[in-house]
Amino acid sequence: MTENLKELAAEMKRRGIPPRYFAAQLRRGVPAEDIIAAWPIPTYLDRVGSRRSRRRLVAVVYGGWVLVAILSKLLTPPDSIFPVVPVAPLASTLGALILLSRRTFLSREVLAGDSGLDERLVQNRNLAFRTAFQIFAPVALVAWLLSAVTMQVQSGDQGMATAFVIYSGAGLLGTTLPAAIWAWREPDPVDPDAETA
Amino acid sequence: MSPSIWNRITVLRVERGLSRQQLAEALQINYQTVGYLERGDYNPSLELAFKISEFFGLPIEAIFARSPFAPMSSQLYRKEESA
Repeated sequence: MTENLKELAAEMKRRGIPPRYFAAQLRRGVPAEDIIAAWPIPTYLDRVGSRRSRRRLVAVVYGGWVLVAILSKLLTPPDSIFPVVPVAPLASTLGALILLSRRTFLSREVLAGDSGLDERLVQNRNLAFRTAFQIFAPVALVAWLLSAVTMQVQSGDQGMATAFVIYSGAGLLGTTLPAAIWAWREPDPVDPDAETA
Repeated sequence: MSPSIWNRITVLRVERGLSRQQLAEALQINYQTVGYLERGDYNPSLELAFKISEFFGLPIEAIFARSPFAPMSSQLYRKEESA
């Protein structure tokens, strides 16, 4: 009996089931197995994190990308595009991977269909995509013009290298902006078990 | 910015000894949304307002109003005094 209780307590802790919630469900007649089954084991990536940490991560990803782009451009010899070609897409992919992880951007909410969200989350998701489009559309236009001009103005492969960096940056924005906006705006998680305001 | 619609969801929830999670489950919404509703940061749709009203067993106007609510205690005492 004691052993069973210990196992149950350990399982509740592992899954993050609040004891008060567990007791309330038991009182309602829900079997313990069903309560446990309804709480999947949270992974590290499931943790949404505070808004402050999410904002910091967004800033680090975009700021880091700019830094990598500048460095790779500075290190590129005038007659070669070698450092830019592997580094820029690699940095973009890495940035996208970080921002598309659940911890940063709540990917389930951003990419979920309407049926998986409540009405507030649907509105927030739509707003994130709308804002992302409003930002991305002019950026893409400017990036296209800038890269076209750069290829004409800069000599040799330098123009191509600069255009490559610009395209990679636009690609990173296009693929991650809704996620970043969501991560930036969603407030800190509140205590779900709080009985008082 | 003050809310355009005031509500008594927090009072009613606490009065019934419910957590945000439990209320969210009953209303089939995200528990963060309960926080938003309670703080007046989000105004529910008519459908959700009806769900909340049915859940608490009260008319919508007892839960939501266009102007701030008077404290329940003062309303209760006034009622008792006039009776």
